Amino acid sequence: MIKSRALSRNLPLHLMILPGLLLVLIFSYVPILGTYIAFQKFIPAKGFFGDQAWIGWDNFRYVLDLPGIFQVLWNTVFIAVMKMVAGIVVPLTVALLLNELRKQAIKRSVQTLIYLPHFLSWIILGGVLVDLLSPSSGLVNQALGAFGIKPIFFLGSNDWFPYTMVISDVWKEFGFATIVYLAALTGIDPQQYEAAIIDGASRWKQTWHVTLPGMRMIIVLMVVLSLGNVLNAGFDQIVNLYSAQVYASGDIIDTLVYRLGLQQAQYGVATAVGLFKSVVSFLFISVAYYAAYKLADYRIF
Amino acid sequence: MRKGTRAAFIAFVCAATLTISACGGENGTGKGNAGSSSAPSASPSGSASNAQPSAGAADKYDPPIEISLVGVTDDTLEGVLAKLSGETFENNRWSKLYKDQLGITFKYDWIAKGPDQFKQKMNVSLASGDVPDFIQVDATELKQLQEADLIMDLRDLYESNAAPLTKEVLTQDGQAPFDAATIDGKLMGIPNIRSSIDMAQFVWIRTDWLQKLNLPEPKTLQDVVAISEAFATQDPDGNNKADTVGLLLQKDLFGGFAGLEGFFNGFHAYPTIWVEDESGNLAHGSTRPETKAALAELQRMFKNGLLDQEFGVKDWGKTAETASAGKVGVSFGQQWLSAWPFQSNHDNDPNAVWKGYPLLSADDKPARPEISLGTYQYWAVRKDAKNPEALLKMFNAYIKKNWGETAEFGTYYLPGDAEGTWKLSPVTPEPPNKNLDAYLAIAEAAANGKLAELTGEAKVIQDKIAEYKNGNEKLWSWAAGYDVDGVYGVMKQYKESDRFMMNKFVGAPTETMAEKSATLGKLTNETFTRIILGELPIDAFDTFVQDWNKLGGEQITKEANEWYRASKS
Repeated sequence: MIKSRALSRNLPLHLMILPGLLLVLIFSYVPILGTYIAFQKFIPAKGFFGDQAWIGWDNFRYVLDLPGIFQVLWNTVFIAVMKMVAGIVVPLTVALLLNELRKQAIKRSVQTLIYLPHFLSWIILGGVLVDLLSPSSGLVNQALGAFGIKPIFFLGSNDWFPYTMVISDVWKEFGFATIVYLAALTGIDPQQYEAAIIDGASRWKQTWHVTLPGMRMIIVLMVVLSLGNVLNAGFDQIVNLYSAQVYASGDIIDTLVYRLGLQQAQYGVATAVGLFKSVVSFLFISVAYYAAYKLADYRIF
Repeated sequence: MRKGTRAAFIAFVCAATLTISACGGENGTGKGNAGSSSAPSASPSGSASNAQPSAGAADKYDPPIEISLVGVTDDTLEGVLAKLSGETFENNRWSKLYKDQLGITFKYDWIAKGPDQFKQKMNVSLASGDVPDFIQVDATELKQLQEADLIMDLRDLYESNAAPLTKEVLTQDGQAPFDAATIDGKLMGIPNIRSSIDMAQFVWIRTDWLQKLNLPEPKTLQDVVAISEAFATQDPDGNNKADTVGLLLQKDLFGGFAGLEGFFNGFHAYPTIWVEDESGNLAHGSTRPETKAALAELQRMFKNGLLDQEFGVKDWGKTAETASAGKVGVSFGQQWLSAWPFQSNHDNDPNAVWKGYPLLSADDKPARPEISLGTYQYWAVRKDAKNPEALLKMFNAYIKKNWGETAEFGTYYLPGDAEGTWKLSPVTPEPPNKNLDAYLAIAEAAANGKLAELTGEAKVIQDKIAEYKNGNEKLWSWAAGYDVDGVYGVMKQYKESDRFMMNKFVGAPTETMAEKSATLGKLTNETFTRIILGELPIDAFDTFVQDWNKLGGEQITKEANEWYRASKS
């Protein structure tokens, strides 16, 4: 009796997950079977199961021998880590601030507004940003000029390019995480706040001792999830905004492989790089998950 | 219970929408694999025994046959289809022509949007063994197909089935297009022939600005630099703001629009092709000392503000905006620049008139425009295709319908303003000299007062020039190209004085070329850009040459020379 009630209660939920699960299965798990291409000199004309040459680690060696690969690796990690950090701190702060608003209407409209840029593609934003950040005619530099600051070539200078990438990406994506944190905030028991106020806690102390600990699990979850992106510096964004002037600081693993892959359809090399990134991400997530378990008593299973 | 059913209903809707959107997303028609022609090939013109090819009734397949193909569209094509009401990618005047005249219908396995998507999809198809009957590929892919033993030798088919006009057109560019498709002595692809001379560049200058600033037409490269300096500093657009650019340049540094090949050619440097060095061996133009001299001048020009300070981040689209907005007056580029982007400059400002000048030299030796083989695609036939000679019949029909005796150029190639209608045909070979020939026909007719007697492509173009002269400003670009003093007059000069500097390497990319050219291209682009910007001193060029050789350039040069020696023998 109880079993069937649980089933009928949970069955719709399972059904709702099913399509998503199928998608993940088809597009994320099944392709894993094709990883063996990373160890072949893959020529499409010969077919997937055709007579391809097995070359072991040669594809990996080829990528590691590419000139400037270590600069590229550094660029990737640098930009990706900055994005990860900013991607936690900014939404968290904004969520905390939004939570203080009393008017629900304003709160909701702000939420919607900051979520909108997520739906714009980098192709569109690329064109917009080139104009906006132009040292001669862009609005940003004109505003800086009002403060007497000389024009900065955001997209053409190796000093500024990585930060420009991080800031524009955070602007586009922080809306999503903000909503998650806001949801977490509503889950904190108001009685805790009342107890803290009775104990004489100021707003800051309340935030530090009640709000943040209450959100701890969600924050840890978001950190662990984002760690999987340690080598994903954002191909869509960078390929639309970079140029030869900023290869030194802006070329990432994906743009490098893109230029190789597209020109010569080097599927073996591209798969090798993908495999490398996946292994590294997996290691990071495992370590982070273990640390979260030990330090914050956080577990999924 | 109610709660349960509501949740179940939502769950069902979610699942259903997901499944439906997954199925409906496919861009192409039909998901079948490479089906071969569906009719028995007992047709009269079925095999290589056909010795007298002509587009007569004997050519038609009866019963009609079906050929499987893969298709590619782009923005131009979709724009064209929008102008031809009732026609679609699968069903249009060309597909009707092939059906009525030859009895051939096409079955598209899939249709991709844009060359990148096409390449990806094609590689996936090949990898899964789905090769259509006929397929258009580049030289590298042709080699892969041949190595995988998927395509057939076309030499005999070509000899027996190509009409005389077709043979004439396909050999107008010499043997190079066929050599590029010949692997191990076998002809593995029919070249989708394109013009090589049309790749030559010119100096495009706004003559209304020349007149406004009282400047003479340029005779040397120094004149061009002086003109660009005047355009950048003397406020030719008359708005009292220093917002004009001297010389237009986009971030790739090379290419048919706003590139630097024409500038380098003035210094007798040929940065994108292979040339002979002093000992008669092949060397890549980008590493020659003349290139350094040209770079030094460009560095100076940038420092003095003659180039757009932000050119390094501007792609073709953004760079074209500078021209359309009327902020620049000098640009190097190929013959089609009057159509894009200068026509939109003219649309915005009817006073804006651009003229194409011959490339000018920095010294007393004439500048030679660098060109390369225009043909880069070849049609291959799957090994067990049932009617391989149909490919040649299509070639015959296409060439004849556009340029033969029964040509209807104004219907099939360029009806009205639907430019690009020719793209609706799968095969699109073009006589390499057709544009120049059209110009010559118009020029001769104009000189002898016989404009009314023009036919074919020349007539269609002349009609557009006449319409422009009658006041249709939207057709200015045609006059800028093909009128007596248009840019093709310069092309005629180039041809008569044999000024083209043709790429000396016209074979298929060698193995190391295929591996390393992306890396070398990046090195070249990055180094040259930084030198021009002044971030690197001009002597960084010498380090660049060393790096270029180290990163694979030396190996590539060796392979190119091996090919060169073999091809000369």
